[in-house]
Amino acid sequence: MMEAIAFYVMAAVAVAGALLVVSLRNTVHSALALGLSLAGVAGVFACLSADFLFAAQLLIYVGGIAVLIVFVVMLLGRTSDLHLRQVNEQWAAAALVCAITGAGLWRLTAFFSAAPGGAPHAAQTRPIGLLMLGEYALPFELISLVLLAALLGAIFFSKKELS
Amino acid sequence: MSVGLSHYLVLGALLFLIGLFGALTRRNIIGILMSIELMFNAANINLAAFNHYLHPGGVAGVTVALFVITVAAAEVVVGLALVLTIYRNSATTYMEDFHLLKG
Repeated sequence: MMEAIAFYVMAAVAVAGALLVVSLRNTVHSALALGLSLAGVAGVFACLSADFLFAAQLLIYVGGIAVLIVFVVMLLGRTSDLHLRQVNEQWAAAALVCAITGAGLWRLTAFFSAAPGGAPHAAQTRPIGLLMLGEYALPFELISLVLLAALLGAIFFSKKELS
Repeated sequence: MSVGLSHYLVLGALLFLIGLFGALTRRNIIGILMSIELMFNAANINLAAFNHYLHPGGVAGVTVALFVITVAAAEVVVGLALVLTIYRNSATTYMEDFHLLKG
């Protein structure tokens, strides 16, 4: 019962934050709502007993990505933006695409409705570490290369042109 | 009423659809980046839920979700650096003004 309450509260936070992200006119408010939605998703991970994923989500998404987006919004924002329309004219077509995608996802969800119950809660940090240094060692090293490339790319793109 | 796998899948589908709608309709490029982050999170919820319900005791799905989080962080860093550069050159963040490659 407690798990159901926790799940529904966290899911409501995540969905409400996501709705605010796509509907608010002020981009700063959108970025703050994104942080709220990401924190709700972290709570959903906690309901799934994914403890390491919960911590990583809070550290990387809420503490890193959301803050970075708020920084950039504040660097680029102009006060005149608050009076401009923030959605384009294609909302009907976008709603149609979303409806079709939603129908397909609903069929897939119904396919999994008879899944067995979940595993008992257990600590996951040690198995993840063993998996990353054992079977998943190659993807682990590749992801560090991706991070290095992203670091260099961000410096390269954002430095001033020397003419 | 207990929470099962389909609840998490419905939540992931809802977040994905909201993110898809935002990515298709937002005019501001930062809004589009935020919507894409929502879609990444929907995929991560599905990975963690499948790991919990269909692979009890394993951690493969959670590990893949961690890789997804890392790639999303790299993507948003490079994307925001590109947005800063475009803003420096054309002083706009609205998608319909990005027509540098149009002949």
